Amino acid sequence: MKGSLLHLMVLRKLGYRGSRAAKKRILFNILLISLVVASLVFAQIFVVSMSRGIADKYALLGNGHLQIHEHTGLELGPIEGLLDTQLVAQSHALIYSPEANKMVRLKGVGPEYFNEMRLEQLSMGTPEAGQATNLPQILISTALAEELGVTVNDRVALMLVSQNSIRPQLCVIHNLYDSGYQELDANLVFCDYELVHRLFGGKEETYYELLVEQSRMQSIKGDLQMQGYSVTSWDEENYSVATNLNTSRQAVLGVMVVVAILCGYFISELSRELVEDDKHKIAMLTLLGARRVFIRKVYFSTVMLVTLVSILAGTMAGMLLASNLGPLLSYIADKSIPSLSYYLLDFSISIPASDILSIILVLLFVSMISVQWSLRRVKVIEPLSCTHFD
Amino acid sequence: MMKSSEVLSLKQVSKSFPATLRGGQPIHILQQVDLSLSDSTSVAITGRSGSGKSTLLQISAGLLSCDSGQVIFENRELSTLDDVRLSMLRCRRMGFIFQSSLLLDDFNALENVQIPAMIAGCSEKEAQKRALNLLQTVGLADRLYHTSDQLSGGERQRVAIARALVNEPAVIFADEPTGSLDERNAQLVEDLLLNLVAERKVALMLITHNNVFAARCDFVYHLHNRNLEVDA
Repeated sequence: MKGSLLHLMVLRKLGYRGSRAAKKRILFNILLISLVVASLVFAQIFVVSMSRGIADKYALLGNGHLQIHEHTGLELGPIEGLLDTQLVAQSHALIYSPEANKMVRLKGVGPEYFNEMRLEQLSMGTPEAGQATNLPQILISTALAEELGVTVNDRVALMLVSQNSIRPQLCVIHNLYDSGYQELDANLVFCDYELVHRLFGGKEETYYELLVEQSRMQSIKGDLQMQGYSVTSWDEENYSVATNLNTSRQAVLGVMVVVAILCGYFISELSRELVEDDKHKIAMLTLLGARRVFIRKVYFSTVMLVTLVSILAGTMAGMLLASNLGPLLSYIADKSIPSLSYYLLDFSISIPASDILSIILVLLFVSMISVQWSLRRVKVIEPLSCTHFD
Repeated sequence: MMKSSEVLSLKQVSKSFPATLRGGQPIHILQQVDLSLSDSTSVAITGRSGSGKSTLLQISAGLLSCDSGQVIFENRELSTLDDVRLSMLRCRRMGFIFQSSLLLDDFNALENVQIPAMIAGCSEKEAQKRALNLLQTVGLADRLYHTSDQLSGGERQRVAIARALVNEPAVIFADEPTGSLDERNAQLVEDLLLNLVAERKVALMLITHNNVFAARCDFVYHLHNRNLEVDA
């Protein structure tokens, strides 16, 4: 009985068989709240996906998810979640072209290094046939090639710096790669493992790069440490990058939560507006004997239904928009806009469910509190006031 | 002691409005007014504008508190009831009709009549049945699904009468129910209201300027100099 009355009143407040003005107001508010929620969800997905994309670049191309600091002869038994193990040698060198020079990280890898997972992280052209040469071949990024003013099959010099001497080594650019993240590409040069070993004569750093399932990273690390290996993870190796990514993500989430709080407050404006416009009807209902608690329930249910529908629509819209971001990002990346050169524009979208849930819960919680607070004005509407319009 | 047939009794009721409302002296509206209303009787209160007729009706219905005196409705003194009990009493035992019908404009005629019944605790089906029956009685069987703006003034007032009766109240408080109607519609509403209260044995407290309408009631009082005088 009271339930069906509540149902009837809420439906009418929502504009079902109601006036066109009531429908318009509800639709406008749904649109507005959905737009805010969609923006929040989209922004959070974008930032988290980009952060994860950058983290993936560093893990897959930079240092591996885990590093075991052993020189050679590592023999690991079967480990669940371990996807790939590569022996890597690295050192630093100055790279010279006729036009420019730069300090780079020279990373020597084996022929199996660029597996499917790593190839997914970068794009590489087909090597062009050049003059036959005995010079060592290196793989540099398009960003570095542009900086040095060189291209495939051009020669560059690597200046190898050791404690006692500086000596040059001429190399030829075998191919160009592009991971999409210039910050990493700008100083990462790949070459053959043996070359690094030969050039630095044992002074290079040698370690094993492990690719593992992300969810098992910490447990595998712990197991390996238990076995006596010196193990570090990619975020320890790239501490400032990992910290920055984490801080950015937290900061953006914080901003999103603040916007959600403001949005929650805005939702109470809808209830305030509804009550203000319906003062006469509320007075009439109290005159007819409706309890104020019931009237508050009608308005609370109406506004919270609008909020829920808006959140649902906004979340779907935000996720849909973010899922179809790929072509737009590729288009922007192709435009090579200088101001965006240090942003990662090629990453796969991942939905940060917990972040989105946090934003939604905050929005719901704040709107519930603020709507209840704004509905306290129902208390002061006297039944007699409906006759003032008489 | 209240007689068993009495539903409403006002004893020595006084009411004044503070000076701040209009400036100067406090406005004394009612002074030690006594009034009794029994089952199936109709009482008309007349008086010039501003004499306090509506105030008297509002105090009688518990919508306004009095400064002194007692308002006893079905053996309960209204000033002792809290907001919830007063709401319940208004819902189940009182019906209201005002000069303008005060219908809920989001709802059609049928819903406007069934809502008070649902507030009183009736099921939707039962409330609808009662509303349908009453709207047929007031001659609006073909206007059930019309909203307030699709009804004429007379039709709206008839819906208001049906709404006032839907919970089978003990008393109907009618404040100028024909005040905004043309002669023909006013006559129709008068007839309908008086016939229905007689048929259903409901007491009626009518505030009106219309002496002819007032004369059709069982008792007529004139509010003059803050007190009720029996109209000759």
